[in-house]
Amino acid sequence: MPQVKIVARNFMDMVASLPTMKLDMLYDNSFICEAILRSLPPLAKKYVLQLLYIDKPISAKTMEEWVLPDGFSKHKVAIDRLIQLRVMTETYDRKKEATYQLNPKFQFNLQKHIVHGGVLPREPMPSNITVRLPSLEELEAYAAEQWECFLLHLISSSEAGKTTNMSSSMMKIFQRGLLSQRDDREPSRLTESGFQFLLMDTNAQLWYIIREYITNAEERGVDSADLIAFLLELSFHVTGKAYNINTLTDLQRSIIRDLSDLGLVKLQQGRKEGWFIPTKLATNLSISLADTTSRKQGFIVIETNFRLYAYSTSKLHCEILRLFARVEYQLPNLIVGAINKESFHVLSAVVIWMCGLQIISFLQQNAHPRVAERIPSVPENVTDQIRLWESDLNRVEMMPAHLYDEFPSKDVFEAACDFAREYGAFLWEDSKRMRLIVKADILNEMKEFLRRQKQ
Amino acid sequence: MTPVSSKLYADDVSLLMVLIDTNPYFWSSMNNNTSFTFSKFLSHVLAFLNSILLLNQMNQVVVIASGYNSCDYVFDSSTSSMQRAECLLEKLEDFVDKDESLSREESVDGVGFSLLSGSLSMALCYIQRVFRSGPLHPQPRILCLHGSPDGPGQYVAVMNSIFSAQRSMVPIDSCAIGSQHSAFLQQASYITGGVYLKPQVSDGLFQYLSTVFATDLHSRGFLQLPRPVGVDFRASCFCHKNTIDMGYICSVCLSIFCKHHKKCSTCGSNFGEARKQDPSASDQRR
Repeated sequence: MPQVKIVARNFMDMVASLPTMKLDMLYDNSFICEAILRSLPPLAKKYVLQLLYIDKPISAKTMEEWVLPDGFSKHKVAIDRLIQLRVMTETYDRKKEATYQLNPKFQFNLQKHIVHGGVLPREPMPSNITVRLPSLEELEAYAAEQWECFLLHLISSSEAGKTTNMSSSMMKIFQRGLLSQRDDREPSRLTESGFQFLLMDTNAQLWYIIREYITNAEERGVDSADLIAFLLELSFHVTGKAYNINTLTDLQRSIIRDLSDLGLVKLQQGRKEGWFIPTKLATNLSISLADTTSRKQGFIVIETNFRLYAYSTSKLHCEILRLFARVEYQLPNLIVGAINKESFHVLSAVVIWMCGLQIISFLQQNAHPRVAERIPSVPENVTDQIRLWESDLNRVEMMPAHLYDEFPSKDVFEAACDFAREYGAFLWEDSKRMRLIVKADILNEMKEFLRRQKQ
Repeated sequence: MTPVSSKLYADDVSLLMVLIDTNPYFWSSMNNNTSFTFSKFLSHVLAFLNSILLLNQMNQVVVIASGYNSCDYVFDSSTSSMQRAECLLEKLEDFVDKDESLSREESVDGVGFSLLSGSLSMALCYIQRVFRSGPLHPQPRILCLHGSPDGPGQYVAVMNSIFSAQRSMVPIDSCAIGSQHSAFLQQASYITGGVYLKPQVSDGLFQYLSTVFATDLHSRGFLQLPRPVGVDFRASCFCHKNTIDMGYICSVCLSIFCKHHKKCSTCGSNFGEARKQDPSASDQRR
């Protein structure tokens, strides 16, 4: 049995958790086969390639002979993953030995790919129709701007409730779970996951949003398999080329419109026809959806005296830093700030449960190249202090409770204690003076219980 | 030209330099003896290149053709996007024409040698450029698909390339497609920690390539790969380019000679009188 637990941590886990029928349907599309193959662990990829032209089932024993003793755990993970994604099927022969065979559709599609090389999902439009296409740099700037705009919207709506130029219906979905709104008058606040979201790298953020989008699609009655298929297909388009929007189905057109808000594609309208231009965000989709081992150029230098220098012109970076550091002054390309206990506590007021580890990993991931060479890239005293501040905040935990006293007899008191323990709501007892503190959740049950004891 | 524009790397991202043997004399001899022709060979290689590029979107493949007189880059996956096969074949044709025009003299005895040393150095230069492009780069490795016999005249150049590959931790995988084993390639793979393989059935070349040579450096730690059985460590002498078992070695620069000389032709140091028939004087077995 597969031992890898299905936690939809990335896109492919989500694909793996699809029902068998849908998964098999997905493999009709060669782009999905390609994307799935690329998402596999290195060893699993290797096995697929090795088995690609073998039509007979291969016994598990034979495959085990391929690996060195050291790699056995990796082998197991690879095999489990392949079975989980139904790339490989496991059957037992007469001698009850496990044999594996590649999914025929998957095999056929990849064989085709290897013989003919990659093909484009659809032909780009000829350049005489699309007159003024943005250059790659412009496109990248556009994507970054749209994305930043979306992130800023998260922060600013949590602070001031400002509106941006984005269509709000889709924004609601994208922001679900990231912002919480207690009531309509109060501006929505960043939740814990929202805060963590801001500290993630772009690919991880993109994945998070897409996941929300897919789960939401199911609620709207859109087949998630179709949606996944299209998203993966989109990632195989060439960045910066224009594709005719009329080649899409209605569903795909509505998806494209939603994604253009995020900067995954740029929509343009010509005299007669409209077209979409995938940006880097879209073509990176299958990468980010597979693994998030990507890195960007960092910009943060943090010193042992808790001062923080961020070489960035981005307003977003400034806003993120403001979440946990006191920004002292800002030069055109430099933000100077400091982390101290106060700024940390302010943050904890905004975000109910925040995680010091998140901040540390954000600082490490975005370390300026000059500091990134050093190990550790964030000074140890700073990381230690952040952990201490965090544990300081978590030292006292508050929860509503009730105090019960003046029990008629020792027996009743003991019985009440046991009752509370059974519910897992017991907090404290003083058996000498017969006093008991129980969580507020089970007040009614306690009342009921004590009334019965009296009778 | 920047080799790779964006720098996002997992540990199985590889840069594969493929050196293909385009020595026309070798391939015509293969035509006569076996059914494995150059076009068959190319179709196997193309499928292999496609599969490498399929495995990871960040993978990069560079193909260098080593001909009889020259060698050149014929394909780079970072510059050409689609229609790989057409792109490669076109360049390869140009290369073969140019290579042919360079050979003037008709007197080629036997199969002749292909310019392995040249293409190895070109591959290493390319890798050096990738190394210098930034702190993040794909894991490079070299794959020699070589069939021509070893040219003893290239011994020094090939050995130098091998040692420079060893220094920069670039494994050289080699696949001997001809009928004989290649001592150069055996040594290259042995010294750099690559894999040497001589396929038994050349028609199944793709399966050999995908099973053994598609393995990225990260996975090599966990997989059973062909291990060297016997490596031919014989050297060529510097004076007559003969492959020798026993010879004389300069004690200063380690140059190898088949005969006794008065002066080292490489570093110019003067040798003393060697006592004849005395193996302990200055000669060594290698």
